[in-house]
Amino acid sequence: MERKKLVVIGGVAAGTKAASKAKRENPELDVLVITKDKDVSYAGCGLPYYLGGVIKERKELVVRAPEEFKATQDITVLTKCEVTALNPTQKTVAYTELKTKKKNTVSFDYLVFATGASPVLPKIEGIELENIYPLRSVQDAESIRACLDSDRVQDVVVIGAGFVGLEVAENLKLRGKNVTVVELIPFVLPGYDEEMSLLIQKYLVEQGVKVITGVNVSGFAGDADGNVKAVKTQAGTIEAQCVIWSAGVKPNVQLAREAGIKLGPTGTVAVNEYQETNIPGIYAVGDCAENINLLTKEPIWCPMGSTANKTGRIAGLNLTDKAAHESLPGVLNTSVIKLFGFNAARTGLTEKAAREKGYDIETVIVPANDKAHYYPGYRQIITKLIADRNNHRILGAQIIGQGVVDKPIDIIVTLISCQATLEQMASLDLAYAPPFSMAMSSTIVSAQIMLNKLNGRFKGINPREFIKIKENPEYLVVDVRVEPEYLVRSIPGSINIPFNQIAERAGEIPAGKKLIINCKIGKRAYLTSATFVKLGFDVTVLDGGIEAYPYAVN
Amino acid sequence: MAEYTVNARGLQCPGPLVALFNQSKVASPGDIIKIEVTDQGFKKDVQAWCKKTGNELTELKEENSCIFATIVKK
Repeated sequence: MERKKLVVIGGVAAGTKAASKAKRENPELDVLVITKDKDVSYAGCGLPYYLGGVIKERKELVVRAPEEFKATQDITVLTKCEVTALNPTQKTVAYTELKTKKKNTVSFDYLVFATGASPVLPKIEGIELENIYPLRSVQDAESIRACLDSDRVQDVVVIGAGFVGLEVAENLKLRGKNVTVVELIPFVLPGYDEEMSLLIQKYLVEQGVKVITGVNVSGFAGDADGNVKAVKTQAGTIEAQCVIWSAGVKPNVQLAREAGIKLGPTGTVAVNEYQETNIPGIYAVGDCAENINLLTKEPIWCPMGSTANKTGRIAGLNLTDKAAHESLPGVLNTSVIKLFGFNAARTGLTEKAAREKGYDIETVIVPANDKAHYYPGYRQIITKLIADRNNHRILGAQIIGQGVVDKPIDIIVTLISCQATLEQMASLDLAYAPPFSMAMSSTIVSAQIMLNKLNGRFKGINPREFIKIKENPEYLVVDVRVEPEYLVRSIPGSINIPFNQIAERAGEIPAGKKLIINCKIGKRAYLTSATFVKLGFDVTVLDGGIEAYPYAVN
Repeated sequence: MAEYTVNARGLQCPGPLVALFNQSKVASPGDIIKIEVTDQGFKKDVQAWCKKTGNELTELKEENSCIFATIVKK
């Protein structure tokens, strides 16, 4: 019997994963990977760390070389070859060898699109200047590192405050460069609610990174040698001898579109849960393929390395064996990032997205420690939890701080994936010993606080909503922390009545005021709210206290 | 001129700050207060507190996850 042939277009994470899995499942399959890149199977997510020197050598980024695929798996890899056309009826692929311009055609029985995504550099004034770089491939990273090695380069502007942009900013700051991040939208990091994003931004600024948000880059100015020397924005000109453009990528779908393969509403290749496109035998994986939001069941685009590997595996498994029936039901847009000594992780829906989708939700913001408070080295983490008021299911979470965030976010990912309720979350038997966790872990405490809110034990206000009513004379902020704490940091316009003096000093509160009770993390505010209610006040607790308050303080 | 040592290890905020506050209340100008704290939030708090109260922070270091601060009462 003639051997069947699989052609994979693209060879970073998803493409090589699909090729390897398909070959493992079906050793009789001929597998050919075609990529226009110089490298295959490289660690794209590691590129910012290569710029910073955390990863010292190029070879550390490349997981496997083309020859290794041949030798260990009998997979043929063609690098520097660009696929120019696909004929789904005749089942052929035409490609050009970039070096020799030689044109070839190969036939296939199965095809996998793993064409990835590319940076979008706008056609603005000065974009052609030297030392303006995207960061997507190993070559990009090498060019940037060579540029940064020059002493001439002191000021770097990173355009785009997404994951890659901020990781690049961190790495370059640690290399001693002056770093400015410019972001078009008003907030850093997608996937976080405003108040959480502002806390992340505040930390970056404390580390010496300049962050300018809500500003559009209009062009670049160059010197006499054609090197970039400044970035022009509507908020002024920023000096820069090197610019890294990381403001978004677009999926590489032109080839698929021209071949009549259906794209989804997000502009990426539409696939079913087995990663198969509308044409049987043709699959799409990784950054060029559409994903499904596990919660809303809507199509989303989630170009993440973790998802790319999974989609590659699913395609590789299913393409020769339809009975495998292993599928990817959806993703939660889970992500985690390290920025200096600060960590941020998120999953599921943000509060904003959940409200826009029409969910009836409640939220809490809970600062807590990652380990026992008496165990040296513990750090704070702030958990924002979003849950459905009606069925008590968890819809999303954002966890940020200097402590461990990946463990709690992964617990919540698991809970959401299993459609767990807050009651189940609050009663989990999680691992505990002082060096690892608190006896009541932040995950469990967050669920309990949410249940307290849902059961009417207290009323809370998000700092984002509070700032809107802050100047309203109907309201008064009463800070119940002790005097030295209040002295160090307080909300402008608030008054200080320590929690142990409320009975004696309640008379200081002008009559008729609605109270917003604030403390360090929200705990003393909650505990004292009953006392204020007894005294006849309308009481609301500021969610997350002063620790999660991102706006100006005294 | 007296020197006081305050062990505020294991105390969570506001414990260390309150301990410093109480010690400074009984100290005289020129006295030195040395405080050891395991609460990470203290690093920022002690700087802000000294700035606001006019006391002088002469040393702030971290060793083995413990913060050591030296304050001269003004």
